Amino acid sequence: MLDWKKLVRKRLSTQDLPHGTRDDIVAELAIHLDETYEHALSKGLTRGAAIKIALQEVGDWRVLATEIDSARCKEGPMNHRTKSFWLPVLITLLGASVSLEATQFAGLQPQLVWVGNMGVTFYWPWLASLPIFGAAGAYLTRRAAGQTSMRLAACLSPALVMLVAMFLLLPWVLAGFHLFRLMLFGLGLINWVGIPAAALLLGALPFLRGSRLTVEMKQ
Amino acid sequence: MPKRIRSKIARGSADLAILSLLAEKPLYGFEIARQICERTGGALKFTLASLYPLLYEMEKRGWVEAHWQANAAGRDRRYYRLTQTGRRQLAPLREEWRSFFHALDALAGVSHA
Repeated sequence: MLDWKKLVRKRLSTQDLPHGTRDDIVAELAIHLDETYEHALSKGLTRGAAIKIALQEVGDWRVLATEIDSARCKEGPMNHRTKSFWLPVLITLLGASVSLEATQFAGLQPQLVWVGNMGVTFYWPWLASLPIFGAAGAYLTRRAAGQTSMRLAACLSPALVMLVAMFLLLPWVLAGFHLFRLMLFGLGLINWVGIPAAALLLGALPFLRGSRLTVEMKQ
Repeated sequence: MPKRIRSKIARGSADLAILSLLAEKPLYGFEIARQICERTGGALKFTLASLYPLLYEMEKRGWVEAHWQANAAGRDRRYYRLTQTGRRQLAPLREEWRSFFHALDALAGVSHA
């Protein structure tokens, strides 16, 4: 009987694999080669032809070793979820926050729009910059093969953070049921959540289309 | 007999092929390759070199779990079983491929039926 295990151990020059893992891989590949060999023999092929067919399963041992190393090695500093979701969220959030700070630092005054007796401030330069960050979030998520829902969540993350912050004010708004507070809350939602969300979404739109599959195939 | 599909297309469809098969029952590597070849009439064919890196990648992602098990003849084999995470990947993957075939059909008259 052929010692496929010995052959695999000798030829497969994998790197950085723990001892037990390497033994498992060697044993598994040896079994596959042996079954291919046995299958070929059962079809009436000669011993030599069966060995040849089994070895054709491997092709290039160095390529196989590299691919196994790449598949088996532990995740790098970032796992798939970090790359496809948390990193784009962080970049979008950071971009939107820095842009708002920069707008204020540059002394660009917000436009005050009066709704009844309440003033609503619009940071137009900041709002104009949001499509860029929305696009960045959706693009980075799509590039990392993230699903559409993840792309949407990443691009809208600054608005979602504001939404959460707004809802923290809800007890104050609802206490006593003051019409003024309710109106202020509603305007705040439009001003800090609705309009920024629309701006972010505008930039993200081109990257929300195209399935994960399409992206993977492009890569 | 269907024509053998070229490697790039086969590789793109590999996740779906393997996950679909493992959704039915746990299988070991050689059997996965054999069944894919048999059930696609030889159109999709995985060699050792193309199959195992994919299985190991899926294992790393937590889509499949592997365990050694001896068959009736006492021969050890490493069986792969679909995990809940893997099962959750299957439905969107099927949907993506369905959309892909519809799109291709509309463009090039390539029916998936």
